[in-house]
Amino acid sequence: MSAVTVETPPGATRSTRRPAASPSLLAALRWEVRKLGAQYRARAVLLGALLGPIPVVAVIHAQSRAPKDTLFGRYATTNGFSLALLILGFACQWILPLLTAVVAGDIFASEDQHGTWKTVLTRSASRAKLFWAKSIAAAGFAVLMVVILAGSTVAASVLIGGHQPLVGVSGQLIGAHEALRLVLASWATTLAPTLGFTCLAILLSIATRNPAAGIATPVVLGMVMQLVGALGGIEAVRPLLLTTPYESWHGLLASPRFTGPLVQGLVVSGVWSLVALIAGFVMLRRRDITGG
Amino acid sequence: MNTLLAVDAEGVSKSFGHVRAVVDVSLQVAPGEVYGVLGPNGAGKTTLLRMLFGLIRPDAGTMRIFGRTWGEAGVHTLDGVAGFIESPRFYPYLTGRQNLRGLAALDGGDSVDRIEEVLDVVDMTARADRKVGGYSYGMRQRLGVAASLLRQPELLVLDEPANGLDPAGIRDMRALVRRLAGSGLTVLLSSHHMDEVEEICDNVTIMSRGNVSFHGSIADLRAMAPEPGHVLHTSADTDAVAIARQHPGVDVTPDSDGRLRVVGQERLVSAYVAAVVKAGIDLRTFAATETPLEALFFMLTDDEDAVEGPRTTREEAAVR
Repeated sequence: MSAVTVETPPGATRSTRRPAASPSLLAALRWEVRKLGAQYRARAVLLGALLGPIPVVAVIHAQSRAPKDTLFGRYATTNGFSLALLILGFACQWILPLLTAVVAGDIFASEDQHGTWKTVLTRSASRAKLFWAKSIAAAGFAVLMVVILAGSTVAASVLIGGHQPLVGVSGQLIGAHEALRLVLASWATTLAPTLGFTCLAILLSIATRNPAAGIATPVVLGMVMQLVGALGGIEAVRPLLLTTPYESWHGLLASPRFTGPLVQGLVVSGVWSLVALIAGFVMLRRRDITGG
Repeated sequence: MNTLLAVDAEGVSKSFGHVRAVVDVSLQVAPGEVYGVLGPNGAGKTTLLRMLFGLIRPDAGTMRIFGRTWGEAGVHTLDGVAGFIESPRFYPYLTGRQNLRGLAALDGGDSVDRIEEVLDVVDMTARADRKVGGYSYGMRQRLGVAASLLRQPELLVLDEPANGLDPAGIRDMRALVRRLAGSGLTVLLSSHHMDEVEEICDNVTIMSRGNVSFHGSIADLRAMAPEPGHVLHTSADTDAVAIARQHPGVDVTPDSDGRLRVVGQERLVSAYVAAVVKAGIDLRTFAATETPLEALFFMLTDDEDAVEGPRTTREEAAVR
């Protein structure tokens, strides 16, 4: 070891030292993004979102009998837009909550797992700054994942299944150009509930301090919500479930078009996101870091 | 001279459920001082240091660092403070250098230029591009010191820095801490090794079960230390005990292992042993047990009910 060159005068105190610089939120965010980029799991999710739809599209397109009992299944083997919407319906069931939870459910709990809370919280970044940096990174990842998955699915579907006019949910024929716009818009409507699940996973990541629980619990909760949503006699509750906004795109492909569920879905997703973030923030702020 | 204390803890307490981890602890660390917090595992040392770093909140009392409190200054309380709690932890999927770069970013980014310098200080330059997941315990400890030095601290807080290291690692770590202390840094060091604290520190607080058992200088502690203890095993222990009766100031008692425990001033013990040999008794074992300071440490930190003799010493050593 070489000589120590610590620039510390004996007796130095607050009055002789300028206050330490605090990192900007952007710097903390950049650090979170860099960590995500170095993680195999996050890269695998993005790669899966990019490449996964291609074999799925190819396999469905090659089927001799179309899955007629599924929304947009009837023309899935002959129409690329139908195929993209069929996969969208499937992705909304558990794939999107799972893919976003892989990062959001881990992003706080992994600090517990690695014992690194004490490492980062003894620097100049406040808990609030770290919370927002991690939350923005997880949300950014969710958006990127949806964009890649949607882009890959739509591109593969159109290239493999063709771009003939689409038959809407009311039986109306939608021209190819308009169909592409509506298919992309339909995929875009999943952003709000996916961000809702991202925030839910963030909350569970903080609450459970366990990456496996942070990842799996939102998916299980999503499935429970779908089950509850399928039950009869709970019409008042159904719109409040975080899984319901995943169906709001149906109205875009009806004639006449209706956007009420879309607006309602945005509000519901927003409320879920806000409540989960506030609860997570309060939990992290108040927490004693005793482990690690 | 500026009178602001580096650390000024007053009546700090913390409980976890029914467990009282830290009970009404007060300590003051002056700038430039090398201060030891000593105690067995579970004494409350780490909880105290976690409160200093703001990782946990005290239930009662105040903790001022260079005059700042967490309530008033928030994260700026740690301006000029660095260190680690228990073993330093890093992101295993990043290299040592990447970890330091990230921590420098969390310090505002100014210290990025010092990464090579601090890696050199802890002799980690050659291993800095390996992933931390593959580091040995000692390498992580040294990276922890490097991460602390990045902040150019005025107060360096090290929680059992030699814990878990092999003898060579302990030697290197102690040498590093001594050099850092020699450079004028204020060092707050926690340990459960009396020799480590005795070697490095000016003043010490000894904790036991969340309470302060002793607070003062190493010199004060030495003055309170009992006579050195030895273990003796002879060919005729009964005769050896009888000879001890002719040597005032030497206390010889059989211990639970069937050997004799000899306590007394070195000079008197030497004379006693010479008498034993002169009486034709063969010496089979004669060795020092713990050092006087170690003996005092055990007296101060052992279960109160289990210790009868040193109770007076314990009472004398109560918080000043």
